[in-house]
Amino acid sequence: MLIKTINAVLAVIAGVGGALVLFWVLNRLVGLLPGRWEDRLKPYVYIGPAFLAISLYLIYPAIQTIHFSFANADSTAYVGLDNYTSLLGSAGFRSTLVNTLLWIVIVPAVTIALGLGIAVLADRLRPRAEKLAKTAIFLPMAISAVGAGTIWRFVYATNPPGEPQIGVQNAIVTGLGFDPVNWLQITDFKFNSLELMVMLLWAQVGFSMVLLSAAIKGVPADTLEAARIDGASERQIFRKVIVPQIRGTIITVFVTVTIGVMKLFDIVYVMTNGDFDTNVIGVQFFNELFTNFNNGHAAAIVVMLMIAIIPIMVYQVRQFRTEEAGR
Amino acid sequence: MRRTKLLQTLAPMTALALLSSGCLSDGGSTATSGTGTGNAGKTVEIMTGMTGDNLNALKVSLDPYAKEQGITIKWSPSDNFNQLIVTRVQGNNLPDIALFPQPGIMKDLAAKGRLAPLDDILDMPTLKNSMTAGTLEAGSKDGKLYGLMASMNVKSLVFYPKQAFESAGYEIPKSIPELLALTDKIRSAGKTPWCLGIESGPATGWPATDWMEELVLKYGGAAKYDDWINHKTKFDSPLVRRAAGTFEKIAFTDGNVLGGRKSISSNNFGTAGNPMFRNPPGCFMYKQGNFVAAKGFFPDDVVADIDNRVGVFGFPPATAGGDNPVEGGGDLAGLFSKDNEAAKKLLQYMATKDFGAAGAKTGAWLSPHKDFDVANYPTQTIQNIAKIAYQSTGIAFDGSDAMPGAVGSGSFWKGMTGWISNQQSLDQALKAIDDSWPAS
Amino acid sequence: MSIAERSVTRPAGSPPAHRRTVSRRMRHQGEATPVAKATVIFICTLWVVPTLGLLITSFRTKDDANSLGWWTIFTDPAALGRLTTRAYSEVIAQANLDQAFVNSFAIALPATFIPLLIAAFAAYAFAFMSFPGRNTLFIMIVSLLVVPNYVALVPILQLYGDFGINGTFPAAWLAHIGFGMSLAIYILRNYMATLPKAVLESARIDGASHFTMFWRLIMPMCVPALASFAIFQFLWVWNDLLIALVFIGPGENEPITVAVKGLMGQQGQGWQLVTAGGFISMVIPILFFLALQRFFVRGLTAGSVKG
Repeated sequence: MLIKTINAVLAVIAGVGGALVLFWVLNRLVGLLPGRWEDRLKPYVYIGPAFLAISLYLIYPAIQTIHFSFANADSTAYVGLDNYTSLLGSAGFRSTLVNTLLWIVIVPAVTIALGLGIAVLADRLRPRAEKLAKTAIFLPMAISAVGAGTIWRFVYATNPPGEPQIGVQNAIVTGLGFDPVNWLQITDFKFNSLELMVMLLWAQVGFSMVLLSAAIKGVPADTLEAARIDGASERQIFRKVIVPQIRGTIITVFVTVTIGVMKLFDIVYVMTNGDFDTNVIGVQFFNELFTNFNNGHAAAIVVMLMIAIIPIMVYQVRQFRTEEAGR
Repeated sequence: MRRTKLLQTLAPMTALALLSSGCLSDGGSTATSGTGTGNAGKTVEIMTGMTGDNLNALKVSLDPYAKEQGITIKWSPSDNFNQLIVTRVQGNNLPDIALFPQPGIMKDLAAKGRLAPLDDILDMPTLKNSMTAGTLEAGSKDGKLYGLMASMNVKSLVFYPKQAFESAGYEIPKSIPELLALTDKIRSAGKTPWCLGIESGPATGWPATDWMEELVLKYGGAAKYDDWINHKTKFDSPLVRRAAGTFEKIAFTDGNVLGGRKSISSNNFGTAGNPMFRNPPGCFMYKQGNFVAAKGFFPDDVVADIDNRVGVFGFPPATAGGDNPVEGGGDLAGLFSKDNEAAKKLLQYMATKDFGAAGAKTGAWLSPHKDFDVANYPTQTIQNIAKIAYQSTGIAFDGSDAMPGAVGSGSFWKGMTGWISNQQSLDQALKAIDDSWPAS
Repeated sequence: MSIAERSVTRPAGSPPAHRRTVSRRMRHQGEATPVAKATVIFICTLWVVPTLGLLITSFRTKDDANSLGWWTIFTDPAALGRLTTRAYSEVIAQANLDQAFVNSFAIALPATFIPLLIAAFAAYAFAFMSFPGRNTLFIMIVSLLVVPNYVALVPILQLYGDFGINGTFPAAWLAHIGFGMSLAIYILRNYMATLPKAVLESARIDGASHFTMFWRLIMPMCVPALASFAIFQFLWVWNDLLIALVFIGPGENEPITVAVKGLMGQQGQGWQLVTAGGFISMVIPILFFLALQRFFVRGLTAGSVKG
């Protein structure tokens, strides 16, 4: 076992060191070329290894997926657009899309708001308190999906009336003299989906908090001081000084969380598996692949996701241009 | 540098892979099925969905023999078995033996030629005499055996709180009408006859499918049950509707179920039966598989004194003394290569009638052999459960496990949940299940 | 270079810097209003309560956990007396945890730092070099984030089979490098884009090569972003079940997630063990987070740029 530990350490050194040496050697090799060529080739040298990894683990499977989306359940014959038409034609899938859209509209925005709020507020605390507060928010991120499912079971669980309740919410409700509520089955106003979103927020706000907090720490102190001396209120400083400077990070987090929500799977799967009208596209994909063994449908869902991401990326490109111009 | 080399070797592979994606694969039949054979060191990888005590029981039965034969077993247990086996077979990374909890996937792999038939490897005539009726059929496809049941479970069981049940003077029902009469009798005495819960996280609904299968099996008999599993009989059919009607009578009648109909879909199956053991009992009957009588479900003090506190009877047949098949299930051992001598040896050993004596003593494992010595089981309760299976006219494999995944672990669960939680009518549920049956 | 110089080169849209008030210390640290303090305390409590419930549950007997809410230990002193560490000792006894711990480290450390380095180079190129196809390539890389990892499993498994590396650590490293790369490039590139380009221009005039600038200039300035991504990547790899199950599987190389998952029964029994196992496996990522938190201190970026 000691050997294994040593091996792991060696692997880190060899891996990181190896990658370094690789870059250094490539850099040198390109450096030997005449200047014009050097400038042309160098970017590709820097991107090369990353691109190779992505080609293998993402691009190739993505191409295969596009390909399979035009084929039947076990990818043995082409069926044209059947997968798309049959999915889009089913009422169940359309309501899945609606649910997913709801998640996309609500979750990224709230994640940013909460993460930013906590990062800003914690920034005002004494260092030790700040650390404590951030750790509390980060804590749920460290819990595995199975663990999180167990935790929230103790929040939403429903036992028959008259029995002791092991879920916090129903303990309160029955303590007030009411009958227990089937929390995850309330479909009015998509209440049960909202409850699942609470779970994701709980688990993911740590992500936005860490990134935004790092960005806030990067805002030069002098710009803040200057604004204060000019008599700006804290609220104005937040809006006019901090937010513009961390805008790039906010967008980064927003896009990342949006993508995460688009393929969201585990929380909904563990809690309801899409029952009671809570289905989302990630769960649908999983069930097409591993319950229905329908490669065609599963692939078509992924392709639709890839298409749906395009508007977000267009926005990102525009953002690039502004950045470039302002730099 | 190792890393550089790796990257260099991966580059052409990527290009190749990109090129080869230009045409569809033919469902994986280009298998080189070589991974399973190369057991020079006699290491046998057994993939299984069994975990926990159940797996340990199998281990204590099999490991000593393997050791004696110089075979090392690499156990790969995972409750994500289905996902994993599908991925690994497609990725051509095969184990030597897999214990399939659901025959659906096993038969699918057999049909694609990925599994070796066991008929030439095992002593079939002896096996036919020794195995409980129906267990070999569960592992067969087109008349050939591909999955040998290595662990059995029994589903057609109704548990009751022994002392309270007996002191109230209730008698074990011998037919479904008697069961309904008993239900009415308990209810009219102001008590609650049934506990019922079908919540099971992502698998919510499966306990309700067990109820339906039970009733279809008892009303229709083994042959019609098979027709139903193979969709020769539809869900929207008189037989299934009759079963649903009986279920409706038991589960939806006011006062029949602890907490009423609305609590069924949110009540966890694992703990739903526990109110039986309160004083006075919260309910008098709970239908569930044999696993629930083990550590982890019934309260610890009940399990510790199980013979005095828990009674169990087989779910009664449609008419007293009539044909009485029993619903059950099991883990079916499949072999990936017929040339894998070490794996074959293990399978041959697992097929012997006395296999599992050590595991049976743990109380977490049932033998599928009807001539297995029940004295090996540690408690009277488990012996009774085993006898219910061994003495039945045959075991019918859990229908939802035998149906295609899209139905058996998909629309059937969801349809039952939707119906019970009153989000859709029975008509809608049955139609949705029929519609989801994959065309083939 | 000084802090003042940095502030001159803020992106357009930010207010003009007032050089007369250059301050090294963050004077407002520790000056939260009572309302702000109360808000933080309130939110943190909300966030911690579910975890607390899990922690308490991990010390309860199975019957208690099944029949009484975890908060009853505060109202019923008898329940307090029934608390037990049995779940922990069972997990440790059954799951061969020390081995699994080492395995998890052996998987997670390389799978965190190697992609970080590779992604940093790529992000540098995307942020500071101009070349044809830059935006297209970048968009493609980020868009691919929506592709669920599941679709890659089968082809990768086949490839690994050809190389015979299934079940080994490199199989998992490479997979995590591949799957984590897009997000790493995205986060690092976007962070680098907020760094002042003028800094590079002046260094370039001084004759520094890209390689030098990357190491001496950009990497130190990126420390907070590198630290945050390292935290997440480590966390994801540490908690990953899918890749570990498919590419490593149960056995001598299994990480802690696989070991703990193996304790859960087919019908879900043994979930009380999962709470204990969950806590054991949580400890390391939290420590990792705490260790890297010191890179989130104000002034560090600016300070290290100096010189």
